Amino acid sequence: MKNMKIKMALIISLPVIIFGFSIIAGPRMINPFTTDEISREILFSIRAPRSIVALLMGMALGASGAVLQGILKNPLADPYILGISSGASLAAVLGIMGGAAFFGSFTIPVLAFSGALITGTMVGIMGWKRGGLWPERLLLAGVGLSFLFSALLMLIMSISGDEGIRRAMLWIFGDLSMSEWSKIPYGLAFVFPGILISLFRAKALNALILGDEFAHSLGFSPHRERFILFVAVGLLTAASVSLGGMIGFIGLLVPHIIRSMIGADSRLLVPFSALGGGALLCIADLISRSVLAPTELPAGVVTAIIGSPYFLYLLRRKNVLSI
Amino acid sequence: MRQLFFRRFALVLLFSLLTINYLLFTASYAAEPPRRIISLAPNITEILFSLGLGDKIVGVTSFCDYPAAANRKSKVGGMSNPSLEAVISLRPDIVFLTIDGNPKAFEEQLRSLKINTFVLRSKRISELPHGIRQIGAAAGALENAEKLAQEVEKKINDISQQQKAFMSVHHIAKKTKVLFIIWPEPLIVAGPGSITDDALQILGVDNIAGNTVSTYSRYSLEEVLRRAPDIIFIGKGQNSMNEVSEGLLRRLKNTPAARNSKVFYVSDNLYRLGPRTVKGIDELAGHLQQ
Repeated sequence: MKNMKIKMALIISLPVIIFGFSIIAGPRMINPFTTDEISREILFSIRAPRSIVALLMGMALGASGAVLQGILKNPLADPYILGISSGASLAAVLGIMGGAAFFGSFTIPVLAFSGALITGTMVGIMGWKRGGLWPERLLLAGVGLSFLFSALLMLIMSISGDEGIRRAMLWIFGDLSMSEWSKIPYGLAFVFPGILISLFRAKALNALILGDEFAHSLGFSPHRERFILFVAVGLLTAASVSLGGMIGFIGLLVPHIIRSMIGADSRLLVPFSALGGGALLCIADLISRSVLAPTELPAGVVTAIIGSPYFLYLLRRKNVLSI
Repeated sequence: MRQLFFRRFALVLLFSLLTINYLLFTASYAAEPPRRIISLAPNITEILFSLGLGDKIVGVTSFCDYPAAANRKSKVGGMSNPSLEAVISLRPDIVFLTIDGNPKAFEEQLRSLKINTFVLRSKRISELPHGIRQIGAAAGALENAEKLAQEVEKKINDISQQQKAFMSVHHIAKKTKVLFIIWPEPLIVAGPGSITDDALQILGVDNIAGNTVSTYSRYSLEEVLRRAPDIIFIGKGQNSMNEVSEGLLRRLKNTPAARNSKVFYVSDNLYRLGPRTVKGIDELAGHLQQ
């Protein structure tokens, strides 16, 4: 039990430390109390919003991954498996082709968010039968839609010579360099409700993992709970895609890593997956903008390179709990 | 004995066949300029048109949009994925390719089908005149190519001299720091090895992205602020770029370039190594000397 407390303290303090460090470190270290004007501008209008966005996005992915693996009862579920990200990319690309620029630098995030929500709703409708959502149906509907949207995306990419679309795809495949303060309130507005819903329904999630009959006997309506949690996942994933495109690994593997550390109780798993995801993305982004500076690497590459070996190590050393 | 004779006979036969084949092949190649040309790169298409060979071009890629006449040529696909069938069906005497964007395997395929090919290896501005001469030689337009190559050499030289003169007249001792933006979100800039970087060197200015790891790389926003460019160029025209650049420019508002309104939208002349490259350098020089 004492060991557990140490682990929990570690998981809570890690994001805070990493967040602070990611602001003062970068291509060059900056003393946070500097009076140099350029350094202050870099700290406050570039690094701070970027680290906050990384934290928010990582939290959204970690939490939605943990919830989704529970409601789909599948250890391979990741927030992108529902086709939400391909829907977001497709909406962004279609919008750009249609000449949409109405929101200035918000155009792609807004398009991506709407695409993600529309796709989420479509998956929900297709996963709906006999008064509720069914895990297998959701999963298959998501995979099916994902293939369809990816194919349409490839089709557009291969017949269109528009340079803008190719560049927009760079953004879709994970980019945090355009994080600004102005995007943070919108991010918060969706990430926090999503995480709160998941937290309040964590007990129900535990029951759902054990099976619908079991949940029923504990006094939960499985269909209702699954629907509420599905909405939370949709919000979280849509928000994360519109904050920084698609960044893999976190939603799939962070919940597994956390599960191997503190167990499978969703009441702990969901918040700690969020914290772990936030910390991982924050540090991955720090590395991606520092190692080859002034050149930046895609953050998703770094997350996978530092995360996967650790995950594989856990897989060999410990008994990774399935869900 | 008899066996030996046959072996020798066979050898002689083989050798003579090879010689005849070689003579015939090279003779036809050297004597008769190609009449049906396919270009698989937009910059080669531009060079061929400037050499007065527009009538002989029978096929181009879907990216070949300049000069306007190139749009009316039949298309054989993209640069990285041209259609072999489309190329063969146009019965070309020669196919022009570039190492900068065409797949090597495609050239090998063409050669294995006995189609003449020429691969342009020039990638830098300094290699452009040589490239033009080579294309002229392969396409049978030696004189025009020599003229165009000399013209390019002279113009580049003139612009560089003019810029030096401007700098000495205005007593500019320190090199002007310049950033050339290819795309604003995510920020992609022209780095070492790009035609744009060559142009900036010819103009004697300092490309603040001149030491990145790749030619067109994602660039750190905070390093732009730190390196404080005096001039920012944004490629590909005001109309297509001003909306997407808005957010980036707002974040760069404290750079010397933005404070002194030295942010310029320029054309895409510098994106292709061809006759228009010179115009592109001239365009940058015009802004630098404002």
